[in-house]
Amino acid sequence: MYKIRLDHFEGPLDLLLFFIRRDELNIYDIPISKITKEFLDYVNLIRMMDLEIAGDFILMASTLMHIKVRMLLPREVDEKGDEIDPRADLIKALLEYKRYKEVSEEFSFLETNQRKVSNRGNYSGDIKEAPPEFDILLKNVTVFDLAKAFKKAIEGIKKIPFHEIIKMPVSIDEQIDFIMEKVNEMNEVHFLTLVFDIREKIRLVVTFIAVLELTKMNKIGLRESNNFNDFILYRVDNG
Amino acid sequence: MDNIYTNIIEALIFSSDEPLKHSEIVKAIKGIDGEDISITDSDIEESVNRINEKYSENNNSFSITRLANGFTFGTRPEFAKYLGYLSSEKSKRRLSQAALETLAIIAYKQPVTKPELEAIRGVNCDYILNTLLEKRLISIMGRAETIGRPLLYGTTEEFLIYFGLNRITDLPKPREIEEIMQDEDFLEQKRKLMMSEIESSIEAETEESDKNDSIE
Repeated sequence: MYKIRLDHFEGPLDLLLFFIRRDELNIYDIPISKITKEFLDYVNLIRMMDLEIAGDFILMASTLMHIKVRMLLPREVDEKGDEIDPRADLIKALLEYKRYKEVSEEFSFLETNQRKVSNRGNYSGDIKEAPPEFDILLKNVTVFDLAKAFKKAIEGIKKIPFHEIIKMPVSIDEQIDFIMEKVNEMNEVHFLTLVFDIREKIRLVVTFIAVLELTKMNKIGLRESNNFNDFILYRVDNG
Repeated sequence: MDNIYTNIIEALIFSSDEPLKHSEIVKAIKGIDGEDISITDSDIEESVNRINEKYSENNNSFSITRLANGFTFGTRPEFAKYLGYLSSEKSKRRLSQAALETLAIIAYKQPVTKPELEAIRGVNCDYILNTLLEKRLISIMGRAETIGRPLLYGTTEEFLIYFGLNRITDLPKPREIEEIMQDEDFLEQKRKLMMSEIESSIEAETEESDKNDSIE
């Protein structure tokens, strides 16, 4: 069993090319079954280590299995009546990728050469006055830079806390009258029904204090309700 | 064209902090000496060649190179390590294999969308694209007219400068697919692989014997 260097492959296509090279396979006649098995072994290995990269590999694994299944079925035919090889798309993708992988080696060579040359202008101390020409005003700035800067500015804005103070014309006496009116009218009333129309927090608090006040004065009685989150206010006649 | 312009061209290129285009040189000369001065791009090319000949006769440490559709002074490669010792500019990290692959695809297929890129590479390219955009080696060229109007990417002048190219057409040509299949490349790669295996086994053996030596 050989060892795979995990950082070696740039993606699933790179890995497949590696298998093809290593085993001297004919790229036009890939043994799908064999290569699928090897590929899955590798995917299982990376799944334990790096889930993020594994996504692309799992997609390729499913493509391979799909091809494998299609290989077993009777071949589809194109307009001319020729059989379609289920591997055709994969082969095309592999060759296309190989073209660019090859040429990226040339890029690396160019990079190496150019790194050995120092050009004029690699200084940053000079202060330049920008002439008022449009193309020069936009020098070295792309839409991407503008968008990035804008996003940063938007995200950088600090939220200023803003408080508004509203005077609420509500008193405990008023709420006592309000409660007594309801209790007298209906004999008993659920607390939640009582406060149903109240929207402001402070009014709710004052109403609750009024309930406690009335209870203390023996004007109303409290009793538990079937609903455990509620209670019932009832009229006390001899109050 | 008078010979005096050779010196003017040299001075113009020397004073520019980025590759100077033919058109800029013509603009400067005509702006001072009048529109009726006859100076063509090939005149400039000739002058630059003459200047470079002078430099190589004198064994100068620099010459004028053609970079990103313009001219700029560059040092000779053999001094790289000394220059790198003093300046941090050149000792920056190299591009990763993934970045090189992505750049190669963009360079040949531009303008190209992210889905097209990902289809060729078979992997997600978000991170690489952002890195390349930040390095200014690529830029957004617009949007495709296809569904979803994806962004189009292309290479920049910085890309040409980074790889020491004059024009985008100076890039090495990728081989045609038929060509890839005809040669012995696959076998060659296999041989290389075998070689490295043999080398590593030899290394392992020598290490073994080294250990034994030290024990003895």
